[in-house]
Amino acid sequence: MVGSPVLFIAIPLLAAFIIPLLGMIWKESVRILPGLVLVYLLTLSINLLGYVLDNGPIIEIIAGWTPPWGINLVFSAFSGFLVTLMLFLGLLVWIYSYRFKRNVDFEPAKKYFILLMMLITGSVGIVLTGDIFNQFVFIEIVGISAYALTAFYTGRDSAEASFKYLIMGSLSAGFLLLAIVILYSQLGTLNMADIARNIHTVKPVYKITALIFFIVGLGIEAEMFPLNGWAPDVYSQAPGPVGAAFAGIVVKSGVYAIIRIVYTIFDIEGAFDFLVIIGLITLLFAETAAIKQIRMKRMLAYSSIGQMGLVLVAFGIGTEAGVFAALFLMFNHAIIKSLLFYAGSYLVFNSKEKYINDVSGLGKSMPITSFLFALGAFAIVGLPPFAGFWSKLYFLIAAADSGMIMIIALILIVSIVEIVYYFRVVNKIYFSKKEAHVVPQRPTFNALFSMIVLGLIVIIIGFFPDLITGILHDASRDLMDKTDYINNVLSITH
Amino acid sequence: MKKVIVLLLLAAFGYYLAATFFYIDFGISHFTNGVRDYYLAHTVNGLSVANTVTSIVVSFRGFDTLGEVTVLFLAASALGSILYKRRHKYEERVVLFPSSRIVQAGSKLLFPAIILLGVYVFIHGHLSPGGGFQGGTIIATGFLLMLLAYQDYHVSHNILSIVESMAGILFVTFGLLGFIGGGTFLENFLPVGELGDLFSGGVVPIIYILVGFKVGAELTGVIYTVLNEKDI
Repeated sequence: MVGSPVLFIAIPLLAAFIIPLLGMIWKESVRILPGLVLVYLLTLSINLLGYVLDNGPIIEIIAGWTPPWGINLVFSAFSGFLVTLMLFLGLLVWIYSYRFKRNVDFEPAKKYFILLMMLITGSVGIVLTGDIFNQFVFIEIVGISAYALTAFYTGRDSAEASFKYLIMGSLSAGFLLLAIVILYSQLGTLNMADIARNIHTVKPVYKITALIFFIVGLGIEAEMFPLNGWAPDVYSQAPGPVGAAFAGIVVKSGVYAIIRIVYTIFDIEGAFDFLVIIGLITLLFAETAAIKQIRMKRMLAYSSIGQMGLVLVAFGIGTEAGVFAALFLMFNHAIIKSLLFYAGSYLVFNSKEKYINDVSGLGKSMPITSFLFALGAFAIVGLPPFAGFWSKLYFLIAAADSGMIMIIALILIVSIVEIVYYFRVVNKIYFSKKEAHVVPQRPTFNALFSMIVLGLIVIIIGFFPDLITGILHDASRDLMDKTDYINNVLSITH
Repeated sequence: MKKVIVLLLLAAFGYYLAATFFYIDFGISHFTNGVRDYYLAHTVNGLSVANTVTSIVVSFRGFDTLGEVTVLFLAASALGSILYKRRHKYEERVVLFPSSRIVQAGSKLLFPAIILLGVYVFIHGHLSPGGGFQGGTIIATGFLLMLLAYQDYHVSHNILSIVESMAGILFVTFGLLGFIGGGTFLENFLPVGELGDLFSGGVVPIIYILVGFKVGAELTGVIYTVLNEKDI
């Protein structure tokens, strides 16, 4: 084996504590060190993922106590895939923002990079951990970093958005803690595999209460309706790269946590139907709200909520094909929505109110950014031959296999809504007359690099979806096999 | 009307919550296969730690503690970055009512005693009630007292930053040493010694002392940042 999953947590924490010291001696190091850490972790996770696909999951115990007494980390095909995706996007966020914060004082810049790194680490921890209380701790880490990054510009609106997020986040933490208390009071253990093994002995009233509290608590992180009131404000007020990090990394970890709870820990069949229904409501609500938006980032935020609804529906189908489609949707959403956030925030960079109208006619003066935005818009609505097409196709196939014809009809109608509001923007960019007061902004080299990498992935996956489907199949098989998970974790010895 | 609906919903939720939790027998031993017995047995036999809470916090669930320490670190960092633009120069801190001579003299007398108590609490975390978090908080209250009593008292941000960073680095380093020495992160790699001795419990007291330093420095930093906030 090349390394251990615990390094995904230990190394960034070490770096976060070192940065303030190193920053006193060499100021540039606060920007460079997080990047080095992310590069190292990304290579480590790619290596481990290769190992896991051949040899089965790695269970890492901590402090020498085997489960269920100690905490353990699980690096399987499913969690490993998500970790690799998150670290890759995290690295791009770092590249994007490396020069972005040049004009900011040293002290806030230092804090920005520490908080960004911990946001990524916390999300990775949520995915890796095999212990519900440990997951709660990582959710706290993500939460605190996210509130601070939202308020980074210290304006009135960003403070309001951050405060809203803080209130919602604290409420969700309270619900999570109550759910954990209920489970612990019934089973006397916090280990996910141990709970999953014994959950059938718990009285239904406690089981259902705990499940509801878990879903409410995690739903806030996963932008589930009606708990997503924070999202549009936060996305439109946070710095551009941070918005991309929320859509690509943080929300993914929230969805992962819900899925782990529903698929592995609880054995309640109705939870799947619940996911379908709540996912559909989220989708309908978000897409109808998105079409009404006049501001760029708010539109992207509602679109992001809608996509998460779609992912929840796909997970709610409950078959392996459904999980496969959901993972593909998650992958595509992470890549494409990051691209849209990067390109979108440059298109409205110099516009004061960030209106969609302000992008009119920028196609000539900002050719590359406009092209990448259009590419992202085509891909996310599911036009062939881009990446988004395949995930929607697999989703519809999975739904058809399970006989959910009504859902297919609804999804297709919603897709038309999506097409309308994305094409409206693309149309404005290319075919409208230029707004006089908007000055085009040249993207920095780093930003351009991040956007082009994402754009290339969108095109390459569009033409060769086989590059990713193999690993997605392994990941979805891994999630579906609950007994295997329990046995793997509980049979580990020191 | 809206308020009535909200109140009714809250009441329904409160009733549901109360009804659920009322019938859980907290404190009564009905766990058939929980972790309780294992923790109680291994705290004394495996780790030679006299305080079970400490052994759970630092060893069995030491990873959570590392996470919680990080949460505190992030909260302090976040506060620093958000209030950055509103920070005073050291001399400018204004107090509405300056403290009297009695308060000042008393604080000077109490300060070393408070620090000593804090240090005692976190050094003996594995033997008696208390530990790193509690000891660190006591130390921070000592600094708070001095900051309130003396208008011109100031703590160096650099020193606080160095203390908290060093404590955090050493925490993770001890974890990684356990990884090298024992095979898992945060594992005990030192001799555990005799139950009840000051030098017992392997890495448990060392980590708790580091937590004490870290929490003390961070909370002092938070208090200092907030006290120096400018009014607009």
